[in-house]
Amino acid sequence: MRLSDLLNVEVRTESGKSIGRVHDLRAELTPRTLKVTGLVVGGLGLLERLGIGAPTAGARVRTDDVVPWSAVVRADRRGVVVRDGTKPS
Amino acid sequence: MRKIFQIALGILAAIGGFVDIGDLVFNIEAGAQFGYQLLWVVVVGVVGIIVYSEMCGRVAAVSKRPVFDAIRERLGFGVGLGALASSQVVNLMTLAAEVGGVALVLQLLSGLPYRALIVLGIVALAVVIWVSPFEWIERIFGYGGLALLVFAVAAIKLHPNWGDVAYGLVPHVDTPDKLVYAYFAVGLLGAAMTPYEVYFYSSGVVEEGWTPKDLGLNRANALIGYSLGGFLSFALMITAGALFLPLGIEPEFIGTVALGAQVPLGQIGLILALVGILFAVGGAAIDTCFSGAYNVAQYFGWEWGKYRRPAGAPRFTVAWVVLLVLALLVIMSGIDPVMLTEYAVIFSVVALPLTYLPVLLVANDRAYMRSHANGRLANTFGLIYLVVILVVAVSAIPLMFLTHQGQG
Amino acid sequence: MRQAEDLDLGLGLLDHQLVDSEGRRCGNVDDLELEGIAEGAPRVAAILSGPPVWRGRGRLGRLAAWIVPGDTVRVPWEEVEKIESAVELRKTCRELRLGRGDDRARRWVERIPGA
Repeated sequence: MRLSDLLNVEVRTESGKSIGRVHDLRAELTPRTLKVTGLVVGGLGLLERLGIGAPTAGARVRTDDVVPWSAVVRADRRGVVVRDGTKPS
Repeated sequence: MRKIFQIALGILAAIGGFVDIGDLVFNIEAGAQFGYQLLWVVVVGVVGIIVYSEMCGRVAAVSKRPVFDAIRERLGFGVGLGALASSQVVNLMTLAAEVGGVALVLQLLSGLPYRALIVLGIVALAVVIWVSPFEWIERIFGYGGLALLVFAVAAIKLHPNWGDVAYGLVPHVDTPDKLVYAYFAVGLLGAAMTPYEVYFYSSGVVEEGWTPKDLGLNRANALIGYSLGGFLSFALMITAGALFLPLGIEPEFIGTVALGAQVPLGQIGLILALVGILFAVGGAAIDTCFSGAYNVAQYFGWEWGKYRRPAGAPRFTVAWVVLLVLALLVIMSGIDPVMLTEYAVIFSVVALPLTYLPVLLVANDRAYMRSHANGRLANTFGLIYLVVILVVAVSAIPLMFLTHQGQG
Repeated sequence: MRQAEDLDLGLGLLDHQLVDSEGRRCGNVDDLELEGIAEGAPRVAAILSGPPVWRGRGRLGRLAAWIVPGDTVRVPWEEVEKIESAVELRKTCRELRLGRGDDRARRWVERIPGA
């Protein structure tokens, strides 16, 4: 699977409620690997896609809400499903 | 001491380089039609290009990435490709107009047929770029362009009413032809804020390996260089306002522009004006040509650079050669260079938001810019000009149609 | 490379410039290959670069992929040296088979004297 497959797909809970779209994937960079740790989820957000709101020094991350990968049930081109009760934080 | 000398030389070379065919056409036409009333628009344009250029230079020096890298990263592959395509169309139109301008001046100087001179001009440009080290190119065309200072002398010798000139610096509209006035205001802003200069400058900053230590130099370059370019634009408009307006001359030809120097200063004025136009426009043609190649190479991640040997950056080389060939075809079609210039400037204004906005965004991104992100001053001006650019971009084409390209 | 730090893939990696061990520019990060998603331990396996990769980047990407010739190059993540504003690689572009468009073009450009 590729990054482009997951960008902009819809994120729903198991019971079908939509909590937004995938704006980006949050990852942790270590000396040997790049592990995906979560999903950056938000609304239709033109501003987010343009990278507005990415300010913290040293990190190349957005300030949007992040869903940790542990909450993900399934992820593919058709969409991402997360456990019920997951809210981006 | 040596550094000051180098900077002074660089600035001198830059003055000649900051006036291109768009500035020539719009400043002279605006002066001939409205006298000094649009001088304040030149000021707005010069401040705008200073703001834009300083931001691009800063982004390039801190992130080591030129403008088009930022555009693809921020706007994404698809929209970035659209920005690339539109900027290439504008580059091509501008380049063709500049080559046409060069050919017209050569015709006035030599009497040889225009179409032959187009081919000669393109071949000469290609050979000069291929063979000469870029530092030489910048110096030769920059100093040659300095001859345009003859218009400053001409403007003074024509004894304009300096009170009226000063009044022109105050924004006001004193004419029944309000739409035509607006069209020329848009054109003047577009001619002052040409994006290709900014792409070219930011690529140069990266290539020369500037670092945050050079940010003061970046600011000085932008401020002094474009102010002097604005000074030349003033000279053009004042000359036209003092000479053409009272005589009711509508300058449609490059030769008429040179008249502005010939009438007050005689043969020497004419020769200097033609030489100045030749080198300024020729130098602009080289900058535009490289700018187009930079954009393509940077968007696709190829090797690029104006200081490289052609084989050191092969696809980049092919790109600028192809651009010259396409420009040759466009201008050989017989289209009038002055009219093509107006179209090029108007279209460049329409596409300007696509390249200005990503730069403004990246300049604010602290992850990229660390402590050198936009401060309050840069953002105040940056946002004001974003609004100005959007207003102008939206109104440019309607104005062009409504006023029949300024004919009224 | 630094200690563990956070990075957003789209913002900080995608569409960034690839630079080899000699400082040569050799393409962009056109996409990223992910693995381990089904197992719940997702990671970036490789960088993908080249015209066919653009097919995943939207409608204009598909159009561009159709027009421009070229191959997909897969750069395993282990080849990444560090991530600055560009992605710096451990080997040269030749070893990684990147930037071959420039090699092809060079053969033509070199024929002209003065190149």
